[in-house]
Amino acid sequence: MTIIDINNIHKHYAATPVLTAITLQVAAGELLALLGPSGSGKSTLLKLIAGLERPDSGDICFDGTSVLALPAERREAVLMFQSAYLFPFLTVAENIAFGLRARRTPQAKIRAEVQRMLELVELPGIEKRYPHQLSGGQQQRVALARALVIQPRVLLLDEPLSNLDPAIRATLQSVIRRIQREFKITTLLVTHDLSEAIGLSDRTAILLDGRIVACAAPEQLFQRPPNRTAAEFVGVGAIISGTLAGDQLQTAHGPLTVAVRSPAARPLTCAIRPEHLYLSTAAQPNSLPVQVHERIFRGEYVEYTLAAGADQWRAKVFQETERYVPGATVFAVLPPEHLFELAGPPHE
Amino acid sequence: MSRAYARTWLALLPALAIVAVVFGTSVLYGVSQSLGWLPFLGQREISLDAYRTVMFGADHRREFWTALAFSLWVSAAATLLAALLALLLTLALGPQMRANRRVLTILNLNLAFPHLVWAIGLLLLLAQSGVLARIAAALGWIERPADFPVLVRDRAGLGVIIAYVTKEVPFLVLILVAILRAQAESYTAVAQTLGANRWQRLRYVTLPLVLPGLLAGSLLVFAFIFGAYEVPALLGVRYPKMLAVLALDFFLNADLRARAEGMALSVLMALVVLLVALLASRLRRQAVRP
Amino acid sequence: MSWLRRTVIWLALGAGLLAPIAVLGVYAFSQRWFYPALLPPEWTASTFVRQLTRPETGTALLNSSLIALLVSLLALLVGYPAARALELGQLPAKGLIYALLFVPTVVPTVATGIGLNILFLRLGLAGTRLGVALVHLVPVLPYAVFTLGGVFAAYDPTYEAQARVLGASRWMIWRRVTLPLLLPGLVVTALFAFLISWSQYVLTFLIGGGQLVTLPTLLFTTVPGGNQATTAALALVFVAPLFVVIALTARYLAGSRVRGGELLLQ
Repeated sequence: MTIIDINNIHKHYAATPVLTAITLQVAAGELLALLGPSGSGKSTLLKLIAGLERPDSGDICFDGTSVLALPAERREAVLMFQSAYLFPFLTVAENIAFGLRARRTPQAKIRAEVQRMLELVELPGIEKRYPHQLSGGQQQRVALARALVIQPRVLLLDEPLSNLDPAIRATLQSVIRRIQREFKITTLLVTHDLSEAIGLSDRTAILLDGRIVACAAPEQLFQRPPNRTAAEFVGVGAIISGTLAGDQLQTAHGPLTVAVRSPAARPLTCAIRPEHLYLSTAAQPNSLPVQVHERIFRGEYVEYTLAAGADQWRAKVFQETERYVPGATVFAVLPPEHLFELAGPPHE
Repeated sequence: MSRAYARTWLALLPALAIVAVVFGTSVLYGVSQSLGWLPFLGQREISLDAYRTVMFGADHRREFWTALAFSLWVSAAATLLAALLALLLTLALGPQMRANRRVLTILNLNLAFPHLVWAIGLLLLLAQSGVLARIAAALGWIERPADFPVLVRDRAGLGVIIAYVTKEVPFLVLILVAILRAQAESYTAVAQTLGANRWQRLRYVTLPLVLPGLLAGSLLVFAFIFGAYEVPALLGVRYPKMLAVLALDFFLNADLRARAEGMALSVLMALVVLLVALLASRLRRQAVRP
Repeated sequence: MSWLRRTVIWLALGAGLLAPIAVLGVYAFSQRWFYPALLPPEWTASTFVRQLTRPETGTALLNSSLIALLVSLLALLVGYPAARALELGQLPAKGLIYALLFVPTVVPTVATGIGLNILFLRLGLAGTRLGVALVHLVPVLPYAVFTLGGVFAAYDPTYEAQARVLGASRWMIWRRVTLPLLLPGLVVTALFAFLISWSQYVLTFLIGGGQLVTLPTLLFTTVPGGNQATTAALALVFVAPLFVVIALTARYLAGSRVRGGELLLQ
C-alpha cells in the first residue's frame, strides 16, 4: 500500500514541453486512470514514475520519500506496455520468474509463486509454453503475472489493453480490476479510452497537452466536469456563457434560470450533458430557440445537432416522441438542476 | 495449374536458369574432374585418385593437412576475435551511438571496401617498414625495421587474421545493431522495472536477444574466410598456405594432371564451407523467430 | 566517463576501420618516403596521375565499368521478376528456392571459378567481358534476389490495385506507383551488384584467363612488384569510383530498409 505524490513535475524533450506543472496524489491502493489523447504526455509521466526517465524539475515520492535518486530497478514500480514484451527466449514460467530471479529468490519459492500467479490470471498449465505460442490476451495476462509476482509497490499500466479485441479487452479489464482490488496495489492506468477510464478507475485525471485539466471520481468527472476543457473532452450538450444576476443568467440566446445564485452580477459559464437537454416545438420554461441542424439515429438513442446562434449544441433523445426535421426551429429545454457551472481553464 | 501460378514460375525462370546453369555446370565440371574425368587428356575413368593423392599421397599430404589446419586456425581465430570485438563494440556503443549516422557510415564504408584493397592498406600499415613501424621508430621503440614484429606475410597467419577481423567486425556489428534496434530497448526497460540491474539486464536480456544472430553471422564469416583467396594470397606466405590458395596453385600448375587434384581440393573446401553456411542459415532462421 | 567512452569508441572506429584507407592515401601521394621518416618528405600527385593515365589502367577501368554495369543491369532485370514472384506470388517452394539461391553465394569463388574455367574456354566465353559478367552473376544474382525479396516483402501491392480501380493503365501504374515505391530498393540492389562485381578478383582471373584486365587483376599483379606508392595509387584508382557510386546513391541507401548490409560479405 503505497501513496504516490507527484509534485510539480516538468519535463521537456528538446525545446518541446511534454509535461508542465504536474501535481497529483494517488492514494494507497487506488486505481487512478490518466486519460488523454496520444501525445498528451501520459506515457512520459509513467516512465518518470517508473524511473526510466528523469524529470527536469519537481519530485516524485512513494510514501513521502523521494524516489528520484532510485534507479528504475530499485523503485519497485513495474511498467506494463501496450505490447506484453514477454522475453521471446524464455518460457512463460521463466518470464514470470524473471523479477524473482533478479532478486535471487530461492528456486522452490519461485516455482510456487509462478503457479500462484498463473492461477491468479486464470492461465494454469501453460508454464512451459513460449510467448509466440500465446494469443495477445494471454500474453498480457502473463505480463500482468510477471509484474505482480514481485509484489511491486506501484503498478503502471501503459494502455496494456489497447491492442486487444473488444471482447478480450472487456474480460481483461475485469481481471485487472479484480486483482488490483485483491492486492490493494496502487495503480496508474494510462488510456485514451474514456469508457475504460471511467469503468476501471477510482479516480480519473484528464491530461491534455502535458497538463492535468481535471481529476475526479469518474461519475463526478462525467456528470459535472469542472471546466470547459474537461467538459469538451468528456462531451457535453451545450456550453453557455452569460451574466448571472440572482439566479437568472442573461445569455446571447435569451434568459435562463440556473441553480447557482449570485447577489452581485458576475460572468458565468455553465454546461449541460446532451442527455439532459431535450427538445420541444413550443416554448417552455427555461428553453431557448435553436435550429435543428441534423438528426442522426444512433441505435440506442437519437442525436440531434442544433445551431444556437454561432454555437453548436447536441441533444441525445432516448425516447423520441416527436421527430424534428433539419431546418426547423425548435426549443431546447435546459432544466436548471442539470445546468452546472464551469470554472475557467485551471492554468490561466 | 492456374495461369497465375504458371506466371509466377515463369517470372522465376530466368534467375533460376542462370544460377542453375552457370553454377550447376561449375559444380558438375568441378566434381567430375576431381573424380578423374578429364576427357581432354583422354582420361575417362572415374576414381578417387585425386582425393587420395592430395590427402594421403607422399608428395602432398603434408601440404594438404597443413593447409587444412592453417585454414581452420585462421578462420576460427579471426571469427572468434571478430565476434568478440563486435559484441563489445556494439555494447559499448550504447543505444544512442548505435543510431548515430556517423557511426553507421564508418561501419558501412568499411564494409563496402574491397578485401583486396583492404589487404594492401594493411600491408602498407603493418609491414616492417610500414607506417606503424615508422611510428615505433619515431617513438624510439625500435631501431631497424627488423626489430618490428612480423605482422603481415607471417607464418602464423597474423596478417590474414588482422585483415579479416577488421573487415568482418563492421559486418557483425551491423547485424547486432539491427537486432538491438528492433526490440531490445523495450525489453531492457521491462527488465529494469522488474528489478534487473545493469549486469542482469545484459546477462539475461541483451545477450540472449543477440546471441543467435551473432552465432549465425559468425558462422557465415567463418565459412567466408575459410574459402577466401585474395587476402591470404596477398598477406600470406608460401608455406603454410590456406586451402583456397593451395587449390588455385594446383589448378594453375603447368602439369595438367594436377588439375584434378586442384579440383579435389576445391570440392573438399566447398563442402566444409557449405556445411558451416547451411548451419548458419538454419540458426539464423531460428534467430528471427518472433 | 561518458565523454571518455565516446572518445575511445571514435578512436577505435577510426583506427580499426578507417586507418588502412588513410594509409593508402598518404602512400599514393608520397615521394621518396623511406623508412624511418614519419611523414613523406615530398608530396606529389605525379604517381597517381601516371597510374591513372597508363593505357593498362584505361583498359582496366573500361572493362571493370562495362562488366559491373552489365552485371547490375542483368541482376535487376532478372532479379526483379524473380523476387516479386517469390514474395508476392503464392509459391509453396519459396523457402526451398531461397535455400538453393543461398548455396552459390557461399561456395568459395575459387571453387566456382575452377569448375567453370574449362567450360568457358571451350565455349569461347573465356577472356570476354560477357563471359566474365555471366560468371559474376553467380554470386551477384542471388544477392539481388535476396535484396529485392526484402524490398517486396515490405511492399504492399494494394497500392497497385488502388491505382487500377482509379483507372490507371498498366504502364502508368508501374511508372507512377510501383517504381516510385520501389526505387530506393532497386537502386540499392544495383549498387550491391556493382560493388560485388567491381571487387571481384578470383572469378575474373579464372574466366578472363589473364587476357581480360580489370582493375582488381591489374592491382593484384602490381602488388608483388613492390613499389608502394604505385600500388597505393592504383588501389586508389580502383576504389575511387566505388565511392563516387556510393555517394551518388547515398540518399537512397539511407531511405531504404533493405535486408541487411550483411550482403556485402563477398
